Amino acid sequence: MKQTLIVFVQDEPGVLNRVASMIRRRNFNIVSIVAGRTEQKQITRMTLVLNEPDKTKQKQVVNNLKALIDVYDVVDVTEVKCHVREYALVKISVNKTYIEDLDLLFSKGHCRVLDQDENAMLIELSGNETNVESAIDILNKHDVLELMRSGKMAMVSGNSDQNKPKLVKSDPNWATQRLLESY
Amino acid sequence: MSKLKNKVLLSGAEIIWECLLKEGVDTVFGYPGGAILPAYDALNNYSDKIHHVLVRHEQGATHMADGYARVSGKVGVAIATSGPGAANMVTGIATAMMDSSPIVCITGQVPSAAIGSDAFQEMDISGAVIPVTKHSYLVMDAKDIAKTIKEAFAVARSGRPGPVLVDIPKDIQSQIIHFNYPEGPVRVPGMPLRKYPEVSDLKNAVKLIMESKKPVILAGHGILISGASKEVAELAELVNIPIGWTLLGSGAIPSSHPLNMGMMGMHGEFSVNNAIQEADLLIACGMRFDDRVTGNATTYSPNSKKIHIEIDPSEINKNIKVDLSIIGDLKTVLQQLNPMLTKKVETNWIDTLTTWQEQSSKRDIINLKTKTLYAAQAIHDIWAETNGDAIVVSDVGQHQMLEAQYYKHDEPNTLLTSGGLGTMGFSLPAAIGASFFRRDKSIWVIVGDGSIQMTITELATAVQENTNINIAIINNGYLGMVRQWQQLFYDERYKETPISSPDYVKLSEAYGLKGLRVKKRSEIADAIKLAESINGPVLVEFIVEQHDMVYPMVATGADLNDMISRPVHDQFQESEM
Ligand SMILES: Cc1ncc(C[n+]2csc(CCOP(=O)(O)OP(=O)(O)O)c2C)c(N)n1
Ligand SMILES: [Mg+2]
Repeated sequence: MKQTLIVFVQDEPGVLNRVASMIRRRNFNIVSIVAGRTEQKQITRMTLVLNEPDKTKQKQVVNNLKALIDVYDVVDVTEVKCHVREYALVKISVNKTYIEDLDLLFSKGHCRVLDQDENAMLIELSGNETNVESAIDILNKHDVLELMRSGKMAMVSGNSDQNKPKLVKSDPNWATQRLLESY
Repeated sequence: MSKLKNKVLLSGAEIIWECLLKEGVDTVFGYPGGAILPAYDALNNYSDKIHHVLVRHEQGATHMADGYARVSGKVGVAIATSGPGAANMVTGIATAMMDSSPIVCITGQVPSAAIGSDAFQEMDISGAVIPVTKHSYLVMDAKDIAKTIKEAFAVARSGRPGPVLVDIPKDIQSQIIHFNYPEGPVRVPGMPLRKYPEVSDLKNAVKLIMESKKPVILAGHGILISGASKEVAELAELVNIPIGWTLLGSGAIPSSHPLNMGMMGMHGEFSVNNAIQEADLLIACGMRFDDRVTGNATTYSPNSKKIHIEIDPSEINKNIKVDLSIIGDLKTVLQQLNPMLTKKVETNWIDTLTTWQEQSSKRDIINLKTKTLYAAQAIHDIWAETNGDAIVVSDVGQHQMLEAQYYKHDEPNTLLTSGGLGTMGFSLPAAIGASFFRRDKSIWVIVGDGSIQMTITELATAVQENTNINIAIINNGYLGMVRQWQQLFYDERYKETPISSPDYVKLSEAYGLKGLRVKKRSEIADAIKLAESINGPVLVEFIVEQHDMVYPMVATGADLNDMISRPVHDQFQESEM
C-alpha cells in the first residue's frame, strides 16, 4: 500500500539530499517525491509517496523524518481526506485511426493538447491518480514516444486544525539530566 | 579576557575558538592541514585556555572526542583539515552515531569559490556524513559561524545525543567581520524530543508491572545517557525485578547489586537469556533490541508483555513489537513512575533465576588450572587487581565480550566500548580522550592484537601527552572473534585470521613508553601493580591461548536461550596439570 506524506522543511541547500538519504538508508521505497515553494518564505513543502504496506513502518518513517533537524513537521495524509494530484506530459506519434479514442479522452477534461504537427502530438494530463493512470492506459494503445510524470502533490481538504503542521522553530537544547550535570 | 563584550572585529577562525570557549570546551583533538590553517594560526592566541591534542590519524581524533564525551557527558570536539583529513573522520563519526555519543567535528574546506571544482583536497564532507550524523553544516559566511557552532553543540547534546559536523571553507576562516555572539536560545525547525511521559502510559505500565509474575528489566545505554542509574535500581528494588543488561548498559547498575543478573544477548549469561525467554513482562529501559541481544527476533520472549521506555520514538517497534511504549527521558519517566508502584509480593522468580545462574557458572575457565594463560583469566585478574575500580576501554572481538563477562563494573560510565558499530581500533584513542576528563581513576585499555594494530599510531599521542593509561593487549595471534566464527560455521577454515604482531615490548621502547610481557597467570598481579605505579602510558602484553572461544554463545538465527556452552572435554584437558 502507498503512504502519502506532506513534509515541511527548511529551505536550505541539501535538504532534499537529507530527506532522500534517510529514506534510502532506512530501506523505504520512494514512489514519488515533489518539492516546491509555499505560502511561507523559507519553507519548502514536499509530497512524499512511499510504497510501504506495514503500518508500524509507516509510523517509523514519520518519526525518522521528524528527527531530521531541517524538518519542521510531517503530516501523514494516507488516511486523511485530501486531494492528491498529478501532472504528466505524453508525446505520441499521430495515427489517424485512433482519433476517436483521443476525442473521448479530451471530453473528460483531464487532457489537453499542447502541441501538434504531422508526426507527433504533445499531450498534457492532470488530475487525481486514477484520472492520469487511465488516460495513460488509453494513450498506451498508441505509439507513445515520450512520457514524463510529475509525481504527486497532496493537500488536505477543509481547514481544520487537526492536520495542520507545526511550522515554528524550537529550542532542541533540553539536554538529558547527565549532560546538564556536567556543566 | 574575552573579546565578546563589545562588537569587535574578529576573523572567522577566532570566532571558532571564541564559540568553543562559550561551550565550555577546554580540550580538543585534532590534526592540522591546509584548509584548516587559519584556525590553527588563531589557536596561538587561545592556547592558554584550550589544550589541543595532536593525534596521529583523524580517526583517532574522533574516537578521542567520543571517549571524552562518554566519560564526561560533555560534547567532545575533533578538528581536521579538508579532504583526506575529513574523510579519515568518518569511521569515528559513524561510531559515535551508533552509540549516541555527542561530538562536534570541525573541518576546514577548500575556499568557498573553489567548492565544486575538484580543488586540491576537496571533498563534500558535509554531504558524505549525512547518514552518520544528527546534522551537518557547511558555513558559507563568517557571520554564520557563531550561530552554527552554537546550534551544532545544542543539536549534538540534546535529546538523543550524537555527532554533528561543521565544515568551514578556508576563506571564511580568514574573513574578518564585526562580531556579536548570538545570545538567547538556539532555534531549529526540528522538534525537540519529548522529556515528560504521557500519564496514561504510566498508568498502563503500573498495571502491567503489578500484574506480572516473571518480570525482567532490560538495562541499556540510555540509562547512562539519561543518568537514570538510581531510578532504574529503585524500580527493580521496589517490585523485586531482576535486571539483565546490554553491552553498553554495563555499569549502569552496579554488578554487585543483588538484582543484577548479568549481560544478555549473544555472549550473555544463560540465566539472563533464559529469564528473558520465560518472562511474562519485559521492561526495556533505554535500549533498542539490537539483533545481538534478541537472537531470533521471531521467537524472542514469546510470552511476555513488553514495555519500552525510550527517548527516540523511531526506536519503538523497530526490531521487536512492544505492547506499551513510554516516550520520554528515562530518568524523568521513572521519577514519575516509581512512586506509582507499590511493594509486590515475593514470588520464586528470583530463586529460579539464581538456580539457572549457578548451573551456568560451572563453565568458568577462571577457576581452572590451565597450561596456557587464557584471555578470560587475564581479564578476570585485571579486574581483581584493579579492585574493579578502573575505567576500562575495550576494543572489538573476543576480548571485548570477555571484558563484559569478567570485568564487573560497579559505577556508571566506567566501560567505554564501540557497541553499535563494533569499530576495531576504538579503544586506544577513546581511552586517551577519556584520560583528559577522568584524571582521578586508573584507565585500562583492553584490546586484541588485531584491534591494537588498527590505531596503534596513537601510542605516539599517548607518549607526547604523557597520558596516564594502561594498555592490556590480549595477544592470541588471531583475529579471534572471526576465527571463532570460522571454527563454528565455516568448518575450521581459518582463512586470513592468523595475524602477526610486532614485538610489543620493543615497540613500546621505540615509542618511548614502558612495555611489559606476561605469559603466566602468576605474573599478572605484579605486572599490573607495576603498570599502575608508573605515571604515563604503559603497555602490558598478555600472551594467551590461541584457540579459545567465547562461551556461551547464541548462533545467529538461534533462539536466545539456545546457547552453545564450553565443551566439557576442554575443561578436562586443561585441568590435568
Ligand atoms: C574496523 C573493523 N574491521 C573488521 C571488523 C571485523 N572483526 C570483528 S572482531 C575481529 C577480530 C578482532 O581481533 P582482535 O582484536 O585480535 O580480538 P580477538 O577477537 O582476538 O580478541 C574482526 C576482524 C571490525 N569489527 N572492525
Ligand atoms: Mg586477537
